[in-house]
Amino acid sequence: MGNYFSIDRFINVFPKIISNISVNFHIVFWSMLFGTILAVLVAVLRLKKIPVISQIISVYISFMRGTPLLVQMMIAFYGIPLLLGSLFLNVFGINLNRIEPVIFVEIAIILNEGAFLGEIFRGAITSVPSIQTEAGYSIGMTGAQTFSRIVLPQAFKVALPHYGVDLVGVFQNTSLVFTLGVVDVLGKAKTLGAATGHTLEGYIAATLVYITFSLILKGAFLLLEKKLK
Amino acid sequence: MSFNVSSFLESLISAFKYAPVTLELTAITFVVSLILGTFIATIRHYRVPVLSQFFAIFVTIYMGLPMMVALILYNLIFMTFYNDFAEAFHISVQISDINPIFIGFFALILGTSCSISESVRGAFRGIDKTQYEAGYSIGLTKFQTLRRIIFPQMVPILLPGMQNSLIGLLKASNLVSAISVIEIMTGALLPALLYYSYLEGYVAAALVYWIIGACIELLAAIAEKNSGKYLKRTVG
Repeated sequence: MGNYFSIDRFINVFPKIISNISVNFHIVFWSMLFGTILAVLVAVLRLKKIPVISQIISVYISFMRGTPLLVQMMIAFYGIPLLLGSLFLNVFGINLNRIEPVIFVEIAIILNEGAFLGEIFRGAITSVPSIQTEAGYSIGMTGAQTFSRIVLPQAFKVALPHYGVDLVGVFQNTSLVFTLGVVDVLGKAKTLGAATGHTLEGYIAATLVYITFSLILKGAFLLLEKKLK
Repeated sequence: MSFNVSSFLESLISAFKYAPVTLELTAITFVVSLILGTFIATIRHYRVPVLSQFFAIFVTIYMGLPMMVALILYNLIFMTFYNDFAEAFHISVQISDINPIFIGFFALILGTSCSISESVRGAFRGIDKTQYEAGYSIGLTKFQTLRRIIFPQMVPILLPGMQNSLIGLLKASNLVSAISVIEIMTGALLPALLYYSYLEGYVAAALVYWIIGACIELLAAIAEKNSGKYLKRTVG
């Protein structure tokens, strides 16, 4: 057994693996930023019930909910260059086959989050009682003012716990990106394992890193919730 | 490069051929996890000493572990230690003859049990204390009260969460492709590998997943309707 696992190798490999957490957080940050913007758009459009658009959005949400993220990532990776490759090459002079795979991962997670967060936001907005909106109108506020000053702050409080769970989920989902050759925590563990021939230490280090940061993120959101109460 | 319809259809047929593997992974894991998750939640609800503390820590930590990392770690541990283990117990089955799907089952069941136990714990909280007292007052034992009064009332509370768990599990079962189990996605890629038509393969896989997911949603809607009937009957 001593052959397979050694503390020395583990100590040697751990700092190298944990330093790649920046790749994961880079993905989480950009995906959540644009995902949230997209989700607000999706939620508002869904609530407005504009004929054709609302059907398109419900198909989009159903697709994102019904298919695995890994498949979505792969479709983004192979499909976007095929769909938009010639456009980008001719108009912007960018060869989509050459850009980093991490961009496609982020696009896939953004689209995925647009659907999931969109549903969370929609639920939060509809949870605000309609008398609140009426109260806004009664004191002469416009629709946009009522929404941003009265409905949104209340919806924010409802959505926050779900948002936190979702963000931890996105962080955990970043463990899929190594399949596209992005060197994140798990990818680093894999490459180090292939280079040294000792895989177990690396994967155990990666496991510890994922668990620790998931718990930290979860704890941070719980703290934030408590503060806002 | 363009989208080739005939290789897409070929991938679609191949994906459907391997759909039973995904369904098996999803269904068996779901049933076992539901039982284990209810067991864990019940222990934690009644604050059984030692066990409830153990599960509280275990579930909290394990929920922090992504399924993909768990799968790869278990697969690696299995690969590393199987030969020693087999030698010690005189098992003559070669490692290459063992279907890695068992590792998939193990990882999926462990992860899903933890998340389901959290939902069941939430459902426990949704049931009034007087319901237990009503059970005890007519002379039912603790176990009888649980089985005849508490669990049936938890079903309608749990249904929406279970629908999400089931669809989540359907999607999580996709990850076993990383430990070389052939399921819908890898099945759809089999013809794609010949013609380099990866996009067609992945789109075909997405379509099959989507169809199964839609079926689950449909079934859940029917179940929800029926459980609602039951709720109205008991209340009215």
